[in-house]
Amino acid sequence: MLDNLNQDVSILQPSLQMTDSQVQNRIRQMKMEDPDEQTCYQKFCNLFTIEYYREYFDVTTELVIAKVVNAFNPFSGTFFDIGGGIPELYGPFWILNTLIFTIALSVNIIKYMQLQPGEHFEYQFEIVPFLAIFMYLKTLIVPMIYRVALKCVSQDRLTLLHCFTIYGYSAVVMIPISLLNSIPNPAIQWMLLVYVLFAQTSFLTSNFNQELKYLPKEKKYMIVGLVAVVQITIMILYKFYFFSSFNYQQLGLVKKRMNTHILQHILGAN
Amino acid sequence: MDYTNQKNPQNYSQMEDLKTLDLEESVSETIMRDLKMIAYKLKYVLIPKEQEDNGKELRNWDLWGPLIFCLALAMTLSFKADSTTNSSKSDVFAIIFVLIWVGAFVVTLNAQLLGGKVSFFQSVCLLGYCVFPINIEAIIIAFVGSYLPFVVKLIPVIICFAWSAYSSVGFMASLVPPHKKKLAVYPVFLFYLFLSWFSLIV
Repeated sequence: MLDNLNQDVSILQPSLQMTDSQVQNRIRQMKMEDPDEQTCYQKFCNLFTIEYYREYFDVTTELVIAKVVNAFNPFSGTFFDIGGGIPELYGPFWILNTLIFTIALSVNIIKYMQLQPGEHFEYQFEIVPFLAIFMYLKTLIVPMIYRVALKCVSQDRLTLLHCFTIYGYSAVVMIPISLLNSIPNPAIQWMLLVYVLFAQTSFLTSNFNQELKYLPKEKKYMIVGLVAVVQITIMILYKFYFFSSFNYQQLGLVKKRMNTHILQHILGAN
Repeated sequence: MDYTNQKNPQNYSQMEDLKTLDLEESVSETIMRDLKMIAYKLKYVLIPKEQEDNGKELRNWDLWGPLIFCLALAMTLSFKADSTTNSSKSDVFAIIFVLIWVGAFVVTLNAQLLGGKVSFFQSVCLLGYCVFPINIEAIIIAFVGSYLPFVVKLIPVIICFAWSAYSSVGFMASLVPPHKKKLAVYPVFLFYLFLSWFSLIV
């Protein structure tokens, strides 16, 4: 029975194949459902072993690079065909960390370029914890929203992990754009952010579209509209919090003892 | 601690003798023995020509070396941080300390998840020892940095970053299967890049 596992699954879902480690995980799950073979550790602590998560890191270098290159192309819609559409967490996690580092770097560069001639450069480091928390929450919550929306239109081929994967890879466009954002010209900065908004939204919608081809029009537009609204919200947050030029004193709000000084500065500036 | 410097005990009574010897030796001897071991490991890790046995020495991992280098780096950078900037000295110290240990943890976890079969602390030990060039660079910049233009400061930063990355990449790449090497190496690169950048701008 276990030998036919891969064939059975591939009949049900022709576009989504299973890798070896997924097959082994499934075999292990089926063995574990037999109550005699389960130890207590296997019943409750499976979540804490590394082997449980190894399935989601089963990628090769070429696969990751191919997915990243595909993510830069907003119209191709072939993201889920690369490597058989297997969800993975390596790409999203490290793209996220690179993005956090890049945005922190570019925020500091912007501040450096705005120095008056006599001032000493003070790096802004409090932004990093806030930035990190914002990015991690965004990457956790937004794919859940997408998955809930897809479930509402009864689309079950894209699981939650697929949503994590595609959302993580869609953030790749932001990395070079945030480096370019340190150019002091405000017009260029706005144009770059509009480009990112457009590129990410069309990448996500064209890939969801492949899976959504068979739905009636209203449901399709609902999904597309949801994606666009979420992206616009996040872009507005980027622009007005991280890349805005008058916000750097306000970022010091997290430090208690600077509070009165900062409040006076804000009231004075407004 | 590591007893390879002393003779191997043949029986239980000799082990007892060694233990009392250990307690009876002066504090400076104990400390010098540990320092010599750290220096030996450091030369082994950072100068690749000294590795004749392909990294087997690293199986005797220890965390004293990484701790000393982490503390030295954190103290150097927090010493340089003014109290008038937004980040005070204690913030910088805490950030560096947490960053090195959590970063080493995450990078090792990543290598293990990609299928590497190395002991966890071996990898943390190696990453900690490779922080030493960043230490050198932080000290250089702390003492002569205010007199140099930015571009001249970049030169030791780049050299030390390349040295750290090169020493640890050889080990990390040998842990994972061949088609995943770059995937395991990239987080190491990002880790040292962040540390170098941080020591440059503080």
